[in-house]
Amino acid sequence: MARYSILVVEDEHTLRRLLEYRLSKYYRVRSAANGEEALQLVLEEIPDLIISDIMMPKMDGFALQQALQSRKETRAIPFIFLTAKADEHSRMRGMRMGVDDYITKPFDIDQLLARIERLLERTKYFQTQLDARIGQDFSKKLMPKQLPSVPGYRLYFHNSPKEYGGGDFFDWTQHPSGSFFITIGDVMGKGLQAKFYAFSFLSYIRGTLYAMLQTAQSPAELLRRVNHVLMQDTVMEETFASLLILRWDPTTHEITYANAGHCRPILVKDRQTAEVVEYSDLILGLDSNATFQDATITIPAGGGLLLYTDGLMEQRTASGEMIGEQGLCELAPKMVGAEDPVQTLLQGILSRCNTDTFDDDILFFWMERLS
Amino acid sequence: MSFSVEPLNAETVVIRVGKALDFRNAAEFKAICQEQVQTGVRNFILDFSETGILDSTGLGAIFSLYRQVSPRNGQVVFASVSRPVQVVVQLTRTYKVFRQFPTVEAAQEALQQT
Repeated sequence: MARYSILVVEDEHTLRRLLEYRLSKYYRVRSAANGEEALQLVLEEIPDLIISDIMMPKMDGFALQQALQSRKETRAIPFIFLTAKADEHSRMRGMRMGVDDYITKPFDIDQLLARIERLLERTKYFQTQLDARIGQDFSKKLMPKQLPSVPGYRLYFHNSPKEYGGGDFFDWTQHPSGSFFITIGDVMGKGLQAKFYAFSFLSYIRGTLYAMLQTAQSPAELLRRVNHVLMQDTVMEETFASLLILRWDPTTHEITYANAGHCRPILVKDRQTAEVVEYSDLILGLDSNATFQDATITIPAGGGLLLYTDGLMEQRTASGEMIGEQGLCELAPKMVGAEDPVQTLLQGILSRCNTDTFDDDILFFWMERLS
Repeated sequence: MSFSVEPLNAETVVIRVGKALDFRNAAEFKAICQEQVQTGVRNFILDFSETGILDSTGLGAIFSLYRQVSPRNGQVVFASVSRPVQVVVQLTRTYKVFRQFPTVEAAQEALQQT
């Protein structure tokens, strides 16, 4: 984790060196001898916090604070005044200008350290809250509002993103022929950035899918085109994603799929048996010459198909091992005919773990063919 | 420091990945590789002998490295792949891109021949 950076602005040489020395044990410290020098340093790299004297040659602390307040990119930097001017007038003036704290000399260095820590903590808290709000908003937009209603089938979807979750997404669309296209994927990375890329990526997929369905219906061809975009477009240069696309025909119960390195689906044959849907190709974004193949499976009456992202499979059991494909093959058949298949699976997994919560984002889709 | 870098020659380094490469240290991994790429290194041997955790963020960092060095005919190869790493590599089918060797020495030998 990168350390916080602090800018010390103090004209008195000895005090400046002392602050540099003590603070550098915990923070990255830069220093300036007056407001003018400080402004220059702030423009080179915005610090996480500023500690500044008031009385200085060239540009004093008040003028520095004012200059920072006038620019939107520097306005929110936490600011502590450090001064010999203990009078109430200066203190009030500082407070009115939006100074966050005020310490008079001589001061206790441990007290200063405590105040710095508190201010940084508060700033980080606000940032985290904001990130979480934006993240939740993205999460909602990456999931469908509803599922299709298909005679002879029952469909369930479950998604519980973590606060700092990643780039899981799920989507479906119906072709005029009556078949459905189902997309599940995971953009690599964590946090807001992954969410943002997942959102852009899902837009690419939707765009490509809608354009392509006019002429072709091959999931493998779709993967090839999406991979091409990822390899060519510099905006998406750092994006790597696993993606599984299925074409499902509810009248023949056939599913044609292509898999670019995504978690392999579990095909449930009946209430006792399930197997991993094996065929899969390279993850997207790595190789412009990657090839993808279509494969076909049939959902038997009284069986089903489980699609999911890695958070589900990587959940650690009490023994420290991941649930894994094997674990899911054992648990998924219990979903058949269950009153609440989502809870059946979640409870089944958690009963094997030491905890009652999941470590990561959980996303899965369950389609069951009625017998 | 989670990673150690051992130069073999001007173009090749071994990076010992250590216990984990995940969302907590992927940025550090990227920065270390970036430094190497800037000095002209294009072949990376990643030693996974002690690695218990490789998540998708960590794998993404390796992919970034691959995309940087492959236009320069560079290679990223895996050595002493532990079981948890093997699971991820199988799942994402990335063994199609990253060659695997039983030991760092075997990887080094193979790279010298190309």
